[in-house]
Amino acid sequence: MSIAATECLLRLHDEHHELEDYQSGVPRWCTGCGDNAILAAVQRLCRDENLRPEKTVFVSGIGCSSRFPHYMKTYGFHGIHGRALPIAEGVKMARPDLHVFVNTGDGDCCSIGAAHWIHAIRYNMNMTVMLHDNQIYGLTKMQASPTSPKGLKSNTTPRGAYLDALQPLTVTLGVQNVSFVAQAVDWIPEVLYDILSAAFHHKGFSFVRIIQRCPEWLPKMFEPWLHDPQRILLLNHERGLQVSPGLAKVYKNQERHDPSNLNRAREIASVMDPIPVGILYRNPDVPCYEVLRRSDQLRSADFIKAGLEAEFDKFTVWPQEAQERVKPHA
Amino acid sequence: MLDAPTHSENRGAMRSLERGSAMPSNTPSEAGEQAQVSFYLTEKRPGATLGSIDGLGLRPALFAGYRDLTKLRYDFPLVLLHNAPDESSVQSLSGLFDGAFAEMYGAADGERLRSYSLRMECEIRAQVAGGAGGSLTALWDEAARRLLASADDLLQDGLRRLRTSLKGDGEVIDCDGALPARLLGSAWRTVQRKKAQRFRDDINRLIAKLADILKADAARSATGHSAESLKASMGSAHGDAFDFAAMSRLLTKASSSSALHEGRRRRIERLLSVLRSQEFFPAFNGATNPNETAAAHSFVFESCTRALEAYRERLPEMIEVAKARVMAELEIGSEYNEAAHDPIFADFGATGLDPRYAVAFPDYLVCLNARDMLPAEASALLDILSAGLPVKILLQSDDIVERSPIGNSNFAVGLRSKQIVTSAIALGDVFVLQSTSANLFRLRDRIFRGWATSGPALFSIFSGAAGNAGGIPTYLIAAAALESRAFPTLVYDPSAGPDWASRFDLRDNPQADLDWPLHELPFEDEAHQRISETVAVTLVDFLACDRRYAQSLARVSWAQGNGRMVSVSECLTHEATGVPDKLPSVLMVDANNGLQRVLVDDRLIRAARRCVEMWRSLQELGGINNSHAARLLARERQSWQEQAQRSTEAAAASPAPAEQPSALPPASTVSAPEPAAPELERPSDEPYIETPRCTSCNECIQINDKMFGYNKEKQAFVLNAGAGTFRQLVEAAESCQVSIIHPGKPRDPNEAGLGELMKRAEPFL
Repeated sequence: MSIAATECLLRLHDEHHELEDYQSGVPRWCTGCGDNAILAAVQRLCRDENLRPEKTVFVSGIGCSSRFPHYMKTYGFHGIHGRALPIAEGVKMARPDLHVFVNTGDGDCCSIGAAHWIHAIRYNMNMTVMLHDNQIYGLTKMQASPTSPKGLKSNTTPRGAYLDALQPLTVTLGVQNVSFVAQAVDWIPEVLYDILSAAFHHKGFSFVRIIQRCPEWLPKMFEPWLHDPQRILLLNHERGLQVSPGLAKVYKNQERHDPSNLNRAREIASVMDPIPVGILYRNPDVPCYEVLRRSDQLRSADFIKAGLEAEFDKFTVWPQEAQERVKPHA
Repeated sequence: MLDAPTHSENRGAMRSLERGSAMPSNTPSEAGEQAQVSFYLTEKRPGATLGSIDGLGLRPALFAGYRDLTKLRYDFPLVLLHNAPDESSVQSLSGLFDGAFAEMYGAADGERLRSYSLRMECEIRAQVAGGAGGSLTALWDEAARRLLASADDLLQDGLRRLRTSLKGDGEVIDCDGALPARLLGSAWRTVQRKKAQRFRDDINRLIAKLADILKADAARSATGHSAESLKASMGSAHGDAFDFAAMSRLLTKASSSSALHEGRRRRIERLLSVLRSQEFFPAFNGATNPNETAAAHSFVFESCTRALEAYRERLPEMIEVAKARVMAELEIGSEYNEAAHDPIFADFGATGLDPRYAVAFPDYLVCLNARDMLPAEASALLDILSAGLPVKILLQSDDIVERSPIGNSNFAVGLRSKQIVTSAIALGDVFVLQSTSANLFRLRDRIFRGWATSGPALFSIFSGAAGNAGGIPTYLIAAAALESRAFPTLVYDPSAGPDWASRFDLRDNPQADLDWPLHELPFEDEAHQRISETVAVTLVDFLACDRRYAQSLARVSWAQGNGRMVSVSECLTHEATGVPDKLPSVLMVDANNGLQRVLVDDRLIRAARRCVEMWRSLQELGGINNSHAARLLARERQSWQEQAQRSTEAAAASPAPAEQPSALPPASTVSAPEPAAPELERPSDEPYIETPRCTSCNECIQINDKMFGYNKEKQAFVLNAGAGTFRQLVEAAESCQVSIIHPGKPRDPNEAGLGELMKRAEPFL
């Protein structure tokens, strides 16, 4: 509700941040880890959008993915296992003016944090969620995760995983109020950047599943997809991802998919080979929870105090009255 | 406006109109005609043939049906509802009753309730006409008391039901001299309240946020970390469980000195004091007692010069508060940068306050009466309007038939107010509304628009309450001024659009496309037959209401008048040349509703002529019979006709069918554009990296960070091919996750194991 004039007035002093301004320390991920690619893309995004570091916050849970906030020179919250989303929702409700990013992994989001995930999609608060899906529990040294493919041999599944992998995309698309779902792979940095940028600009819960390599525990997992561009399906559209000509020459397997087509998005999401890359669904009209709940009242200390007093008064025992009530019987 | 009376009592009155008794026609008719002509030209009455109209209580014939306004249902009296949003806070009494009745429409005894509701309305209207005022509830109770004197149970029950469905309460005002000020004043107050609410909310928000900054800083400061304040903030319940001294020591050691910069703190405190002490709107929080308001400036004035002075006085304060608001917004967003912003704010408002900021502040209201206006006031008024100050001016005229200031026999109708209104319209960005008080109810949404504009606004209202009209009610005088084009309704709303067509509006005048409005006048002739004549309402009818102009009118008997008397409007359409053979007259009725014909002298005719000229030019401005548009249309029509004629001639002249258009040129084959950016011819000898595809995985950097480096996008490229060995290049190529490193040919032919390395490098060529 600021005066319109201040918008055009006095933004003389525009700070411009370089990419290095967002770098905090050297990442301790393994060399070749896909998290590095995601970090680079996010830092580029912050620089290009000129996000003010004090207005940006990265929230994470537990896992290799969740080391992310330590390497961004913005505000960050490295929370407890599976609870990145509730913490991010709390941040957003208390400070709707901050840019909230969530870094979560396949275990953190789809296993222990699955309950929060479902409802976070429904709330549709304006935040960008990156699911670093490397299909393994990396930090705890190689256990099968919900997105591990069937037959994967790990420390907890020595005879191969028995179950088909969970599809995070179909799960997200199946929840009410879903407003933005996209998939990226960490080895095509240009597309990764475009999708993250679209997710950032979308007003609502932007869910981006980033299929990521783990060079330590699953070094050969994505070899076939890395070296055969035909096994990547680029989803292009004017309203979705727009593929540059250079990229189009290499990745010839493309499909024109309208992001407002929910049914087709669900069909595409159920297929894992070729890997669909692009924006599967986008609906800008879903209301955001923090906007729905925004109160017009000015929540000053006096106002809150008056409200609390009014509530407590409902249960207060007034000794005077109590005595009078008791007296007739006395 | 004056709707045809529908109340059954008045139909009877119409039928009983008779021609009044004639003067004895003793004198020969030629002498009578001479006398008439000389009266027409000179206003003298030779002989006794032309009676004066004094003492007859004459009023224009069209008013015959409106003897008793209290028995009619029309827009007045008005009810100004409390607690209603903008436009619906002004309701007419009839409208309210209709609304109340509509709720109960389906009731079985609807007819009876309807009759009760009409009786109540009539009773209240009679009370108000008798001078009673006050709230609707009080008048209702009084009226109910009078009606219930006849103690009818059904009536009591019906009245009670009507009362419950009549929503809202408010003040009841009638169409009298005080109407414009009260109606516009209450509209202004409603709009100002909303503005005050918005302003207050914004200021409170700013104050709260700034205070929060100071509070957070205090909490982090040394005093905030002292053991006492920590203990106080913990509360008494579990105070014993903590060692506050130790807590205080830990906190002071751990917290870095992130206290507010001294300059910033002082700035915030200054801003807070300015915002808290502003006097433009009463500043109270919704939660606390709304009756305790801080001292606020008053914005209602009785004179333009005083309003102008007050504005000038308060301008520095306004600038301070506007500046404080902008600075506070920046401070709250932590965007205030002293180096850049201090010099700007130091000069803020030096060239006057930008209208974008001024719009949040309250408007000034000036209520003037044209009668008391000195020339200095008039010039101050025009100064205000042309300076674009947010001042809303109500100019009330009670009497618009003034003697010309020069003193000759001409008189000017509404001259002073017309001068001001035309100047205001000519300025172009001033909201102007001119109307009589009779039409104010219909214009209520326009009035609210005028209050809502951000710049100056002028409301010129003719109240009709000058008291020169004998027994004719104020409402009728005002209505007559409207109908006779003496004081037409016009609205100029600059915010409605960019051009005159959208801004200037004459719609609210009756029959705006005619010179004079036409009405049907039914009466009974000598043979007791019902005749209906179409009568035009002209300026003369309006002037005839005014007793001061009785000497310009002379009563003429019916016998003498036949054949030579025409209506004023007919007379005006003929040019006045020499001795006229047709003399103008108006129809008037006396106290017994007897129809009289009254001769009008030349002075009134001249005034009427000027009035119609002014009306026609207003019409042109409003787009009715606009001469420019008509000429353009005529030109277009002529050119279209010429074109049509030419094409018919051409068609007649060439019977052969038009030849086929020449064969289209063959579609040129457009070669597909070459793929952009042909492959860069990379020398296959130099090592290179396909940088755009790099995933920043650090593999190559870890192998040799002098040979490989990250660019600004944090993507790798060959920084210095000579800074490492070919082995390193090959290893980097093999470990690159996306295989974008191309080692090229080795630089140093003497490197060890080159053969094996070249083989390994082969897939990466």
